[in-house]
Amino acid sequence: MNAMDLLFSLTNGFATGMAIFLVAAGLTLIFGILKILNFAHGAFFMIGAYIAYTVVGTFPSSLGLYVLAAFVAGLVVAALGYVADRIVLQRLRDVDEAYMLIATFAVLLICTGVVKIIWGVNYASVNPPPLLDGALDAGGLLMPTYSIFLMVCGVLVYLGLDFAIHRTWLGKLLQSVANDSWMSSLLGINVPVALIATVIVSFFLAGLAGGLLLANQTLSLLLGESYLLLAFMAVVIGGLGNVRGAFVASILLGVIESASSIIMPNMPGMATYLFVIIFLVIKPQGLFAGHQV
Amino acid sequence: MKLLKILLLAAAVAAFVSVPAWADQGVVFLAGLVIIETIFALSWNLLFGYTGLASFGHAAFFAMGAYLTGLALRTALGVPFLLLIVASGILGAVVAAIASLVLLRRTTGIHLAILTLALAEVLRIIISYSTTLGREDGLASIPRPSIDLGFVMLNLSHGTAYYLFLCAIGALLAGLLWVICSGPFGRTLVSIRQDPERAAFIGINVGRYRLLAFTLSGGAAAMSGALYAPWAQIVTPESAHWLHSTQPILASLLGGAYSFWGPLIGTVLFSIINYLTRGLVGASEIVIGTILLIIILAAPSGVAGLLKALGLRLSAGTTNEGKKQ
Repeated sequence: MNAMDLLFSLTNGFATGMAIFLVAAGLTLIFGILKILNFAHGAFFMIGAYIAYTVVGTFPSSLGLYVLAAFVAGLVVAALGYVADRIVLQRLRDVDEAYMLIATFAVLLICTGVVKIIWGVNYASVNPPPLLDGALDAGGLLMPTYSIFLMVCGVLVYLGLDFAIHRTWLGKLLQSVANDSWMSSLLGINVPVALIATVIVSFFLAGLAGGLLLANQTLSLLLGESYLLLAFMAVVIGGLGNVRGAFVASILLGVIESASSIIMPNMPGMATYLFVIIFLVIKPQGLFAGHQV
Repeated sequence: MKLLKILLLAAAVAAFVSVPAWADQGVVFLAGLVIIETIFALSWNLLFGYTGLASFGHAAFFAMGAYLTGLALRTALGVPFLLLIVASGILGAVVAAIASLVLLRRTTGIHLAILTLALAEVLRIIISYSTTLGREDGLASIPRPSIDLGFVMLNLSHGTAYYLFLCAIGALLAGLLWVICSGPFGRTLVSIRQDPERAAFIGINVGRYRLLAFTLSGGAAAMSGALYAPWAQIVTPESAHWLHSTQPILASLLGGAYSFWGPLIGTVLFSIINYLTRGLVGASEIVIGTILLIIILAAPSGVAGLLKALGLRLSAGTTNEGKKQ
């Protein structure tokens, strides 16, 4: 492997990492504040992808429309998130971890069934919009513009979340709720509103991710599942509920995925799982343990 | 209550045994799968319902047993089938013991879930890479065995014969698990589930009991896999997929995780729902998902818990029965 291959695999890994982070962002947010590990996140990500597909069709006419469709998907999924919160998530606040996983898995099942009924079980695919279907030649390093787009989106979402959590009034309020919701309520913070805001933002991110990651992949019922596992691992490795941790962990996982596709092309995913196992055995508390949100 | 339970169990056994007499081959095949998946679910629930550990990678043990048995039957080494089932159990138990030495040292809850899931996925990737194990296609056309009992030769190549064998061995395995769970060992496990700290305080070696539970559970799951290979006559890497790991979880919770027979009720209900909604795309997921949600939100003890509550209420109505409680 020469230096160019290495560089290529690194940038590729970074792009994959950003794709993982787009899914993991909402997942880690909801875990940090509601302490719910949401299996259904993958399903809502998938619903977001299908909604965006309905908006843009197989051949998106422009980049603007493509991004707009992602936002529409985000908003619709955010609305669904509000409903899911009222019906399910609100009742799970004081339930055992295993039951939370299974309840959200039940939501995942229901969503899969609904998607099957609305969009059918056939595969669909979406081409990248113009501007994103080419590749950029940066001194011999050929980079697909779609990868660059994903990197920009991932970094923007990260910066936006990080800024919102650490620099704004609402973010600080959420941090205090995450640390001690009982104490926060005593101090006059409207905890239920803070929680529902978190759910809506988290689901919005799931739908947005579905729309942004739409191109270059087969739209099927397995879509949610494939990203869900990677995002789960990023969240756990990052130190549950920590956005910065999830960001770093996503990049790590992306680079490992990309490197392993060169070293072990026959065993996709193997290196990632091994890394996760070794990491969790050695450092089960994650990268940034102790930092809430 | 106890008499009623025994009667219900006897009725369940009779219902299972009588299936080939009144149903077509497709239904018999499904009934056989129900027996296999019930053992699988019971093994998972030994960990969750009794010990309080949720494994999300239990399909790995199932696949181990299925592949070991499938491979041995296909190569026709002449190893007796009953020995293969036992060997699968030992393989599953040994792997479970080794895995739990690492896993259970400091992880429970979500970390355990992710770790078991990752380990199972590693096994699945290895299987789909191995040429001996048929890669993605799996092992096809696995022959059904004959059993030499010394005085009589049981030929299980016919579907009905193998089905009746499944009924017998299923009852045996479930009975064994029941004996283990309802004795002092099971009670110790329940105390660990309820409060590991207090259990340790009264002198229970929590780590050792968790390890034992994991070992037993892995062994039983592998045996259910061993029964599966000749029944389906094909084993694919899908059997180790994490979605297969969720099957016993869903069945146990649907039926009632805190009752020994809950997983049986859940597995039967699941198959019935799947069978009834087979023509409607997406309907089975919606129905199963909704029922699961209702159960978790409204009745976390599952169908078995509901029945128990109903039974208590009924017997409380008649005073004599009430005193016996």
